Amino acid sequence: MWHDRAVSTKLTRGGLMRLGRISVALAAMLPTAVLATTVVPPPLAPEHIGIEKLPPRSAHWAYLLDVSWSNYIDERVYVYDGDAGRLLGMMDLGYYGNFAESPDGRTSALAATYWSRGGHGERTEVVEWYDNQTLKPRGELVLPAKRAQVGAITPFNLAYSDDGRYLYSTNLTPASSVSVIDVAKNATTSEIDTDGCVQAIPSAPHRFSAICENGRLLTVAVDEKGQESSRSISDAFFDVDKDPVFVQSVPTPVGATFVSFLGDIHGVDLTGQAVQFAPVWALVSAKERGRWRPGGQQILAYNAPLNRLYVLMHRGGEGSHKEAGSEIWVFDVGSHKRLARWPVAVAKHGGAVALLATRDSEPLLYVATDRSALLVLDARSGRVIHMEEKLGQSLWYMQNPS
Amino acid sequence: MISMQARFDRVMELAARGVARRSSRRGFLGSFAMAITGVAALPLLPVRRGAVAEAAELPAKSEGVAHDSKATPPKIVTDPNSCEYWKYCAIDGFLCACCGGTSSTCPPGTDPSPITWIGTCQNPADGRDYLVSYNDCCGRTTCGACTCVRNEGEKPMYRMSLNNDVNWCMANDNPNYHCSVSVILGVAEK
Repeated sequence: MWHDRAVSTKLTRGGLMRLGRISVALAAMLPTAVLATTVVPPPLAPEHIGIEKLPPRSAHWAYLLDVSWSNYIDERVYVYDGDAGRLLGMMDLGYYGNFAESPDGRTSALAATYWSRGGHGERTEVVEWYDNQTLKPRGELVLPAKRAQVGAITPFNLAYSDDGRYLYSTNLTPASSVSVIDVAKNATTSEIDTDGCVQAIPSAPHRFSAICENGRLLTVAVDEKGQESSRSISDAFFDVDKDPVFVQSVPTPVGATFVSFLGDIHGVDLTGQAVQFAPVWALVSAKERGRWRPGGQQILAYNAPLNRLYVLMHRGGEGSHKEAGSEIWVFDVGSHKRLARWPVAVAKHGGAVALLATRDSEPLLYVATDRSALLVLDARSGRVIHMEEKLGQSLWYMQNPS
Repeated sequence: MISMQARFDRVMELAARGVARRSSRRGFLGSFAMAITGVAALPLLPVRRGAVAEAAELPAKSEGVAHDSKATPPKIVTDPNSCEYWKYCAIDGFLCACCGGTSSTCPPGTDPSPITWIGTCQNPADGRDYLVSYNDCCGRTTCGACTCVRNEGEKPMYRMSLNNDVNWCMANDNPNYHCSVSVILGVAEK
């Protein structure tokens, strides 16, 4: 040991002497003027660890759900600023998680499965209430071990009523039902059997609608005690066998707007006592029908000030309805006219699997790809403003702040 | 060796038992029991044949059954670790064959789901259409190997018996999804 230390010291001294000689030689070569103007900056001040505060909320933010497909028990929600092109923070979303933001924007509800030993052990189904100022959970409500675990993420497996009083959480055992949660009381008030129909699409006042196997909608009204007060069944609005609709929808002036596998647009008005259906229109021409199809995970996006619908499209046949989009088609919802076809640089970024338009009049269009790249576009022109080559693992769904 | 009929009976027994044990609600029986009944009455089930013919008109894709439209017959894939293996025509998940199992058995440490979704796939070797049960294997987190997404005849979750988006491990003691297998139930008669 001593011997080693002595050798080390000797080497160090020798190295220093050599360095000193080289430095003198270099200094001699430098012009005198340069040496005279070199100013050594003052040392950096000591830093203090802290917690970054979220900046003021912006309509250009988005919640990005990463399902962590190769390790599904580690889903997460990223908070992203599309103007700055910057990740602002993250929340944990467990396994088969669902996300909803309260209408007042103060709280995020994250419902998910957890086990006491990572992927096994005691199972807990829980909705956690995250404070949107701190991104920390400030409470929770344990749910029955029947919460729906659904891969096709939509806003309708965990949804607030319009006034924020109730949170509807879907169950599947595979019997289907909806748990009604009184948010202020942090308590489940009832479990409502939805008769094989799935999801809970909220409408005011205190109603939700579920899609049924026969193409009809079941609408259930909830009373002041959080119990079912009435239910009704609509006519069928699509043919499940010939051309089913995707389970997601976006709100447009004609109501909840669904797209079918072949590219028909179905508008469903849930505001009245009876469900009303708008005339069906097609995204595709007769020549394109069956060859160009909508597909991906989050296929539709809508911006109200521009009244534009954005759709992920690809060339494909039957069974290709989850194929990533090679183009984004842009439509004027009033005239049904296609305004643009924006190609996705598939070779560079991967195919597009999810779309989200911000809600303002100078909107951004978020595009996530099957390589988990994130592109932020000007939703008016299609120009790429920001690009994240890889953000997380599997960005399959995005949501606006309230 | 387990005969096809025995295996079919076993799957149906498991499926029916799962339904009986867990479904007191009329809602689920409205959709899923139809699938069980339908499978039990094989000759009555509609068979989807459109996928191959339609896809043949399209450019080749990385996944699925598409192939070029030249006269040469498509290459028959016999590797169960390949997403293009014929039994996987309506699968969406990780192939258990790549995760320590086979195309029809779960890896060690996992348990099969007693409830499933159903597909109809054509075996290119004999030209027959087969009913295939896509059970999930459960109890570990996602395997992460051999992602395979093919959706011929797949429907959204309101047609649950033909949907591969819901977690079919949902009724297991541990509903953690690991990978998917494809189990031949029998020949689908035309």
